[in-house]
Amino acid sequence: MLITEIKKKEDIIEIVKDKKVLVLKCYGCKEVYFPEEEIDSLLKEIKDYVKEIARFDYICREEFAEKYLRHLERVLKEIESVVVFSCGVGVQVVSKLIPCIPVIPGCDTHYINGFQGITSQDVDCQQCGECWLNITGGICPVTSCSKGLLNGPCGGARDGKCEINPEMDCGWVLIYQRLKKLREIEIIKKAAVNIRDYRLIIESGKGVKNES
Amino acid sequence: MGEKIVIDYTKYRLKKEDELKNILSNVNKLTLLWCKKCFTEFREEPGEECDEAVRIIRDSGVEIAGCEGIDFLCNNYLTGKILELMSDNIPVGVISCGIGIQFVSNFFNGSRKVLALSDSIPQSGNATSIVGYHGIALGAEKCAACGQCYLGKTGGICPVVACAKSLLNGPCGGASKDGKCEVNKELPCVWIEIYKRLNNQKREMGKKIDIRDYNIFSVEKEKKHIKKNQGTRATGFYGGVYPQENKDIAEAIPIKVFSIPERIAIFLSQHTGIPAKPLVKPGDRVRKGQKIGESAGFVSAPVHSSVSGKVIEIENKLHPVSQTLQPAVVIENDGMEKLDSAIEPLTEWQQLPKEKLLDILKEKGIVGLGGAMFPSSVKLCPPKPVDTLIVNGCECEPYLNSDNRLMIEHSQEILKGIEIVKKLLGVSSVIFAIEDNKKEAIEIIRRSLENYPEVKLETPATKYPQGAEKMLIKRTSGRIVPEGGLPFDVGVVVFNVGTLHSIYRAIYEGMPLIERVITVAGKNAIAPGNYIIRIGTHFSDILNTCFDIKSSTIPDDCELKMGGPMMGIVQQDVNSAVIKGTTGLLLLEKYPVNVSEENICIRCGRCVDVCPMELIPYYYAYYGQKGQWSDMTKYKVKNCIECGCCQYICSSKINLISLIKKGKRNADNRD
Repeated sequence: MLITEIKKKEDIIEIVKDKKVLVLKCYGCKEVYFPEEEIDSLLKEIKDYVKEIARFDYICREEFAEKYLRHLERVLKEIESVVVFSCGVGVQVVSKLIPCIPVIPGCDTHYINGFQGITSQDVDCQQCGECWLNITGGICPVTSCSKGLLNGPCGGARDGKCEINPEMDCGWVLIYQRLKKLREIEIIKKAAVNIRDYRLIIESGKGVKNES
Repeated sequence: MGEKIVIDYTKYRLKKEDELKNILSNVNKLTLLWCKKCFTEFREEPGEECDEAVRIIRDSGVEIAGCEGIDFLCNNYLTGKILELMSDNIPVGVISCGIGIQFVSNFFNGSRKVLALSDSIPQSGNATSIVGYHGIALGAEKCAACGQCYLGKTGGICPVVACAKSLLNGPCGGASKDGKCEVNKELPCVWIEIYKRLNNQKREMGKKIDIRDYNIFSVEKEKKHIKKNQGTRATGFYGGVYPQENKDIAEAIPIKVFSIPERIAIFLSQHTGIPAKPLVKPGDRVRKGQKIGESAGFVSAPVHSSVSGKVIEIENKLHPVSQTLQPAVVIENDGMEKLDSAIEPLTEWQQLPKEKLLDILKEKGIVGLGGAMFPSSVKLCPPKPVDTLIVNGCECEPYLNSDNRLMIEHSQEILKGIEIVKKLLGVSSVIFAIEDNKKEAIEIIRRSLENYPEVKLETPATKYPQGAEKMLIKRTSGRIVPEGGLPFDVGVVVFNVGTLHSIYRAIYEGMPLIERVITVAGKNAIAPGNYIIRIGTHFSDILNTCFDIKSSTIPDDCELKMGGPMMGIVQQDVNSAVIKGTTGLLLLEKYPVNVSEENICIRCGRCVDVCPMELIPYYYAYYGQKGQWSDMTKYKVKNCIECGCCQYICSSKINLISLIKKGKRNADNRD
């Protein structure tokens, strides 16, 4: 899921300084994480340049965003740019709808584990299109190994911790332990590991279908 | 128009048949679990992958021990409850995205074999680039979550996602003459698009652009966020939301007495159960506190006049809860405040037998003041033994402060009320729960409780709807009220602080329930605050006194809500009147844009994540919109407490609560 962090204050001030701006705050993902308090305190500092502040949710939803912007039609004529506090999707939707007005993102977007809902997950999935979990005891080497290695550990782990980040467990140690419990060590030893096929990602990931 | 773009972010695809057969060759029996998908348009039976898998499994001669479709298989809590029930050690085949499969594997942690029967497929919809996550809505825009948003410089078009090479420093130079990408000739070169957009806006791209910093969101930072997010979700009870509190408006304003109106209207139905029978007729003179409506059954309560004066008529008025016409006794106040002779203080209540005390409380018309208005005398005779009294001082609704102020200003009376209830229930253990956003009330109650060692103060972290009975019981006592059950099923009775205060007044002062504390706030409020308002006061009187509005009409951009913004009931008529369950009267700004037309559910899963009753509300949206009430019953619509979390979070802005209410009504009619 996507979460947002407010951009550096100085950078935003630099952009909006001496301009008239409209601020759009999207709070749809407030329950995941949305730095509303920080945004409000920043807005106090730049209030001289802010023509209007509008607070909506789910501006990433184009049909909503369209209505929100229509509601603000009058203001849009009087401003020089729009500052959007939302994830990168929201900013892109707004700038697509008002291509003539500069749209400035107020936030940076990050990803945390989890696709659905608003609760983040302990495990992650990179959607590689060729699930390895059958031979790795249900622990994903693509996401739980820093190097995404498929052919076993790199050999750099110390005390079960990753050499890249000692805070992280070595995914392959975890896989080995799980397989031992499942009495499946021999299976993985014999398993042939395919080389990753990135075409699977591109070909399957169309997402958009056109229906007439 | 013509073409309708359908976006489907299904995140898995069944593995190929020969691969599946290979996987299945090691087992002879399995249980099949499949995820009903997320971020796809709602369909009743989204399980074609499951059907196909069942065919292949049977073909391979493997026995299917069980097959279950699960809504949001990656929901650790709800799916965990289903997995817990699986006591055998038959291998499990899972059809879901990688997160779901890993969750199931980690849940069983090597105690049984978990087979991945599907591959995760990416959500990135761009045919040249593999990066990008979709947003909450079913839109085509993606975000790579790079953590250093470039959109401000690139005219709102993202080069990280849309350029095949994710170039940040301009075009690669390989685009064809007609502006197509060299990697995929079907697609436009995104840098040309960016150039055009900036040109249009008469802007130039700055000379410098930051180099990508892949360490900008470190593993540690991500883990911290995950922990924080999971922490807020899991504390105390499942689900819940954190709406803007807006408590500061009336928090520090001491309780004031609202001027006693010249005319009042007392509804005969001010409680759960049968409406009261009127005891007066037009022309009768009544005194303050005089019973004017007699309780009409076991679950019922009498009503009293809150002023002295003359009965004008019994008029049908729009009831603030049911929003239907209900009889109300209209009384003209003579301003004399003549007390009814039945009102007598009672200090030696300890000497009285339990039955006598219960009679007094029934006679004084005491009902739950938290909003549900359940007759207290009935609650005090639980059909099962109880051992714990929970005092509800949570007041989790935004804006409201009536309970908060009562605890600050009338803590001693509340504690005396607790003593009465304790004696009536015969319980020894009392838990006093106040949400941690009420610092002043907590301090005062903590000090007052020094003389009451048997009362334990709990200050749970604020989360809506903590004040709902079942959530509060789980949070403070760890007990779980069974489905369709009531608090006494787990040996608990919950009383709101306001109710305890009115119980104190009924016994010590002999005063029936004729007034209560109400928070008044909202847009254009010139005198927001917490007022002691007589039952029967017209909303128009409050609007005229506390708000800057013309001739007591509700402004077009606002709605009048009785109660809080989450569960409050929208009032159509300002001539309706305060009842015993009126916790607040708020004039709230409407959402500035009307987007609540019939939108379809996109299975974003948020309603399931926030439902404190652990229901799956999106079925109510789907079946409710189609009018298939019996299907709503199948998904336990009757368990819903109408807290409004699902509607608050719905990314399609579906009017879930009204659909749920309809569903419940229809379920009732059928029974």
